[in-house]
Formats: sequence, structure tokens, C-alpha cells
Amino acid sequence: MQRRRSSKTPKQPLSIPNKSQTDLSAWRKGGKIDPEKSVQNNQSADDQKCESQEGSLEQALSYFQKAQDSVAPKKKSVEQEHLDAVESTALEQGLPPEGFEILLKVVLSGTFADTVNTRLLKSLIPASVIPENSVVTAVSWLCVGKCSSNIQLLFLKWLITMFDFIDHKEQLNALYGFFFSFLQDEKLCPYVCHVLYLLTRKENVRPFRIRTLLDLQAKMGMQSHLQALLSLYKLFCPEQVTITLPGRMKTYFKNSEGPWKAAITAVRQRNQGSSPLSQAVFLGTSQPQSRKRKWNAQLVIPASSASTKHLDEDREKSCFYLCSPNESFPVEQLQTFPQLLQNIHRLEFPSQMGSVLTNPLLLHYMNCVKDESIYLRLYYWMGQRLQEECPWCVVDNPYEEEFRSFLETVYKAECFLQEGFSACEEFLYKTLPLWDGICCRSEFLRLVSWIPLSSFSDIKPYLFDPLAQLFFTSSIYFKCSVLESLKELLQNWLIRSVIQMDLEISSVNTTLSGLVNTVAELVHFVGWISTVAMRLENNSTFLLYFILDFYGTVCDIYLKYNLPLLIMPPAGVFYPALLSMDSVNLNQLCYIMYRYRANLVAAKENELSKKKILQFKFSNRTYQEYNQYIIAMVGCLWTSSAFQKDTHPQGLCMDDKLLSKSAVKEVKSSFNIVYHPAMMGYSVKFLQQICPGDTALNFKLIKGKKWDWYLEYLYSRGLRGLKAFIESSISRVSQAARSKAGNADV
Amino acid sequence: LTAPPRQGQCPTLSIPPVLPVGASGPLVKLANLLSRSHLATSLPLPSERDHLRPRMDLVVFMIDIKSKYSLKNVETSLAYVDASFFLGKVCFLVTGVGRVNACSIETNAVRKLGETYCSPVLFCELELEGIRAATAQRLVRMLRICAGLVPGVSALSFVSLMRKSDDD
Repeated sequence: MQRRRSSKTPKQPLSIPNKSQTDLSAWRKGGKIDPEKSVQNNQSADDQKCESQEGSLEQALSYFQKAQDSVAPKKKSVEQEHLDAVESTALEQGLPPEGFEILLKVVLSGTFADTVNTRLLKSLIPASVIPENSVVTAVSWLCVGKCSSNIQLLFLKWLITMFDFIDHKEQLNALYGFFFSFLQDEKLCPYVCHVLYLLTRKENVRPFRIRTLLDLQAKMGMQSHLQALLSLYKLFCPEQVTITLPGRMKTYFKNSEGPWKAAITAVRQRNQGSSPLSQAVFLGTSQPQSRKRKWNAQLVIPASSASTKHLDEDREKSCFYLCSPNESFPVEQLQTFPQLLQNIHRLEFPSQMGSVLTNPLLLHYMNCVKDESIYLRLYYWMGQRLQEECPWCVVDNPYEEEFRSFLETVYKAECFLQEGFSACEEFLYKTLPLWDGICCRSEFLRLVSWIPLSSFSDIKPYLFDPLAQLFFTSSIYFKCSVLESLKELLQNWLIRSVIQMDLEISSVNTTLSGLVNTVAELVHFVGWISTVAMRLENNSTFLLYFILDFYGTVCDIYLKYNLPLLIMPPAGVFYPALLSMDSVNLNQLCYIMYRYRANLVAAKENELSKKKILQFKFSNRTYQEYNQYIIAMVGCLWTSSAFQKDTHPQGLCMDDKLLSKSAVKEVKSSFNIVYHPAMMGYSVKFLQQICPGDTALNFKLIKGKKWDWYLEYLYSRGLRGLKAFIESSISRVSQAARSKAGNADV
Repeated sequence: LTAPPRQGQCPTLSIPPVLPVGASGPLVKLANLLSRSHLATSLPLPSERDHLRPRMDLVVFMIDIKSKYSLKNVETSLAYVDASFFLGKVCFLVTGVGRVNACSIETNAVRKLGETYCSPVLFCELELEGIRAATAQRLVRMLRICAGLVPGVSALSFVSLMRKSDDD
């Protein structure tokens, strides 16, 4: 490998020692980081403060530059002053790109004591980008080995943390071999592995490097960082790495961000919106950027492609890339869909896999490519990110807002790809038992809906048991949110089962029953928790709405998804809905029962016509359950005979003695859609319309013709579910309306 | 076997009393959120004020996952609880899950404890204010059931719901 440019002849004008003042002021006037601050003409106090701060930064940088060459003893107080200047600028605005070369040289050449070097390294926070040259210079000084090993370690941590800010990485990649040689140092090894992990491209995987890694492994034992690197090599070139590695281990690198975390967030927040250079560039998406985005989140893509200063350099490079067929196409230059199609065969993914999540073009690519390495890298990265930033699992991490938006990004990517990430699934299983149910609630529950379809009993102890425990002890709003996300989970599973059935037609027997079982167990689970929840929340209308919403999906499984499954709601849900005090839930229940009927009728027709050879047919028990419910419903809504005819063990059957105690006159004809508590409002309004002057409400008037008017009135109030139910299940109305034989009993 | 533990009176409110047992700083903050709680570091409770204590409806054993001592303390205290409490009026609360690296007790050990004593195990991180409040709310909901304030749900049926999944 050769370096394309020697680092000994930097292009910045800072190498001319005596003109440091003018050079840095040239920076200040020229491509300035904060253009607003220099262009503004009004001399506000802020401006003056900034200028004095920049002045002191300039002085500090020139001091450090000279100090390297001078042999005179260094005055502590002067040193302190300049250190403070650098630190305060770094924390407030971030350092300009030109400052990095000077400071990195100073730190790694061992000119000052370790305490000074540590402080300097901790303040190396960029305002916008870090020029690649400075890092290359730093690495060359690292190889000389003049600084202490602690500083070397801290530098590597800094490099890992700031990796995304480096504007170009081609030269860094050329230094791959130099980084690789540092693996032999035991103390540095984990961090060097992390750096290599970020830098590796397919052409870096060489047999001698694989051998070195295997030797190291034999010497040190299986370390997680070595394993991560080997796994990455294996995915780039599986034929060269022949050892077996544990499949999807939870290997990850130790977090190196510590010293810079808070500072970086502060700088980002402050510089948000100040200039196009300091903002991240989204490739082709028009997403609004969140205010408090964590600096090293996947959303930061190096700004070089948008920088007008380096436009000429870029044009050169882009021509170079597009012309040479062997080169891979860097993803930073991907702007449009046609470009993706043209370069799809040589696309190179960014080092930080996370930037894929917000880029729809790359997600398209991920969808159709078969390259396992992408999935593995995304898995490692996402797993680490999720685990380390989870607010309830990592007490010291206060960035709940950022984590929430990160979860949202992951969810959107999952919706785009129409499947869940396995790192996400593992994160859910691991953290659900520890969750309090409030932190990031809606984002977390939305991720639950993308759990992949697999055997219910396998995931039950990890997902459904802790979820049930939380469900029973949490607020009504939590319960409703869980029901909503379980409904979406059901829908996703149903869609997935349709696809799976289409693909595996040969083994339809085993596959079908497995799928049906899993879905059935999910529906039974939701039925169980719904029944308990209704008891705990005292038949709340709000909760019932969500439960019935779930069954709105369940009732149509046969017709919509072609899965031979029909599960009625449990009595603990049906009866409270039937006797609910509000018409919305009653209406929804009517609609659901109407859909059940449609599904059952269709199934019966298929069975009788023998068009298809059915492996499954609905058992008699299903029909019996349905009939029992229908009897109760018709009794409650039409014939007032529910108390006599309902035979369900948890139903409404009451003997006459008990009924007479209610002291209701004409008890055997006083419970139908006129007298039902949910419908009383409508019947009163109706009566007021047909007998305008009459103050005594005589409900008995609603019979015969007026009964039909009353029905029309109800339909006009939007009770379409009721309409569908009555027209399909009540024979008199069906005959009258459509002369179709629709019986109350199927 | 001793008589059900009782403790000193608090000003009367409509919320029945809960007894958290354990020893730690964040625990005190949690106890403050539960307005009628009687905090004890271990059982048995001192017998001097037996006659003044109201009937307890829920005993919450706090285990700090970072200290083996707290687990031992809880295990010895369990012996002093009347058997009738284990029909749904005992709950284990494991705190400190926010520091995974500092765990010295395995979660399996705690789960096993919960299974042995037929009581649910809840996990939380009491150092964070938001989670503290949420956990207090969850305990209050359990408490309402244990005190019989929710019609149709008894403490025993509730605890069997919480554990139904484990037995399946």
C-alpha cells in the first residue's frame, strides 16, 4: 500500500511559522465554521466575546506549534492559559479543522507531559469535520512511538469516537497495515480491532492477516474483539476463513466514547442550524432533523460531498471512481435511484452501518442483495447501540430523547423492509423483563409488532410472559397500547404466513398447521389478557374499544388471509361488549359478529362444494360457539328473549323468579334495541321526532311500521355494524330486504 | 411461624398499608412515594409496637442485585412471614438492574426464590426518578387488589395470573 499523499507536505498554510496570526485569521474570514458570526456587522457582545475567544485560540495554537520545536523550558502558567483556551473553545464551539493537525502532532510527539496530552486529546472536538491529513500525521507520529502508551490508547479511543467526522477515509484505509501491526500490543489490541473493524473493506482481507488473527486468538484465547474482526473477514471472504465461529454471538466492542460524550452532545446542540457544513447531509431524503441528535448516531454522514470548498478535489475523486471499473462506489455520492441502479454491482457500504437506516436507497439495496456481511455488520452495530444506550438498563445514560428517536428510526426502517431486525428482537427479549412500562413506551411497543413469526412456545417465556406481568400491573393506557401493538403483530404474522404458504407449497401440511397453531396461540393469549383486563379496569369502555379492534382483525382471518382459523372472542369480552353502555362498542361487536358469519358461511360453502380438497375444516364446536353467541345477541337486540334462551355457562340466563325481582314491567319484552342501555339515547331522540309535542316517552309506540322507521333512523346515525348484523342475521329483515334466506342459526 | 407482622400507625388515608423490607437509599425514596408504607430493614419487626400496627396487605421484599447481603437478608426474613401471606400478598422487587456490570446475584437465583415462595418478581432501577414513580404506581395497583378493593379479583387469583405463564 502506498500513501497517495505524503503527510510531510501539508497543503494548509500553517506550516509557515511566523505567519500564524494571519493564517488563522484567513481561516476566520474565509471558509468559516460560523459564517453568521463573522458576517454580521453589528458588534454584539457575543461577537466580541467570540472574537476574543478565537484570538486566544489562535494564540494557543501558535504556542503549541512553536513549543514542539523549541527547547526552552516551558512556563507552567503560559501552558495552563493556552490549555484553558483550547478547552473552552472546544467545549463551546468545537475546534476548527486546521487546529487538529497541530494539536495531534503535539500530543503524539510527546512534547508535553501526559497530563497536558490527556487534556488536549479530551478537547479534540470538531466543530464540523476533521481533515484526514491530520489523522494520517497523527498515525505516523503514533508509529514513531514517542508518546506514552496511555496516550496511544486514548488516541485510539478518540479515533474510534470521532471516526464519522473524518472527511475522507481513503488514506486511512491505505494505512490499514500500520494499524494491523499494532495488534501485537496487548493493551491496544481491543481498540485497534475496533478501528480495523471500521476500516475493513473486502480488499483488506488477506491470508496473512487471517493467520495473524488466528495466532493471536491461540495466544490470548477467544476474545470478543478478535472474534468480531474474524467474523467480518469471514463474511467478506468466507472461503479464506475456514474456522467455525459461533453464529450470532453478542460480541461487541467496549464503549470508547466516555470522555467525549457529553462535550460532543453540547457542541452539536449549540451548532445545530448554524451552517450547512455543520449539519449532516441526508442523501435524497427530506427528513427533518431532530434537534438533539446524538453526535455519533447513524444519521451523521460526512459533509464532504456537500462542501463547496473541496468541490474540485471531489470532482477529481468522483471522476476517478466512476471511471475505474475495479473501484467500488462510495455510498456518500449516492444521490438518486438511477445512480443506485447503475452502480448496484459495486456499491460499498459505509463504515458505520447505521447510516443505512435513514437512507431509503441503501435500504432498497439491502433488500435485494444477498450479502450476509451487511446484515452481520448491521446486527453488531445495532445490538451494541441498543444495549449501551437503553435508558433503563444503563443508569448513567441520560439521553432518553435520543434513544427514543433512535428506536423510531429503527422502526421506520423495519416498516420499509417489512421485517424485523434480529438485533432488535434480542434487545426486546433482554430488556422487556427490566422495563418499567413508561420509558420510551410507544416506540418500544411498536418494535414488538415486528417480532418475526416463529413458534409461540419458543418466544413465550421471553416475550409474552414478561409482557403479561407488566400488562396486569400497569395503567389502562399501557394496556391499550399493548393491545394495539399485539394487533399489529398479528397482522404482520398473518401477512408473513400468507407469503410463507405461497413459497412452501410442497410441505404445506406441516407448515400450515405450525402457522395456524402459532397464530391461534397468540389470539388465545390476547383473549386471556383481555378478559383479565376488563375485570381489572371495571369494564372500561376505552379498553373495550381496543379489544374489539383486535377482534376486528381476528374475525376476518379466513377470508382475508386464507388461513383456516376462526376464534370467537371469550365470554369475558363478548358479554361486557353486548351489555356495554355505549353504542360504539355495541356497533363494533355487531360488525364483528357479522364478519364471523360471513367467514363461517364461506367455509361451509367451500366444504360443501368440494372444490378444493381441504386439509382443515372448522369443527362443530366452532359453529356451536358461534350459535350460542348469536342466540344471546339476537335475544338482547331483537326478541327480548336473551334471559330465557341463552345457554352459555357464563351467559345471561336467569330464571323468572330472579327476573321478577328487578321490578321491570313486562320483563319478557323489555330488552331489545329500543330498551338496551346503549340505545336508549337513540330511541328517546326518535320518539321526540315522531311525537314532537309528547313529553311522556311511550316506547311501546315503536312497533310495526314505526319499528322499521326506527331501524332506518339508527342506520342513519352511522350504526353500520348494527345494520350489517341485523340484515344478515335476522330472518324477517333479510327476507323483507333482500328475499334471501338468512337464518339466525347457521 | 409468628403472627402476621404489624407496625406503627400512620395517619389514615384510603390506601391500605404496604411493608417494603430491605435496606438501601433509593428504597427510602420509593417508600416515600408509597404514602402509607412502613419501611423495615429486616424481619421480624420489633414486638413493642405490635398492638399499634394495622393489618398489612402487601409485603414487598427488596433485593439489591448488586449485593449478596441483601439476598441473604431477605431469605432470613422470609422465615418470619406467616404462611397466609404467601397467598398473593408477598412480592419481590429486584432493584439495581441499571448497572448490569455490577450484578453480583444472578437473576436466575431470584426467579427461583420467587417460584419457591409462589410470589411474583418485579425488576426495576430505583435510581432513576421516572422508573421509581412508575414502579410505585405498579405496586399501588397490586396493593389495591391485595386489599380487596377491586371487585372480582382476589390476591390469590391475581398472583396466579402473574405466575400462570411460568407454570405452563
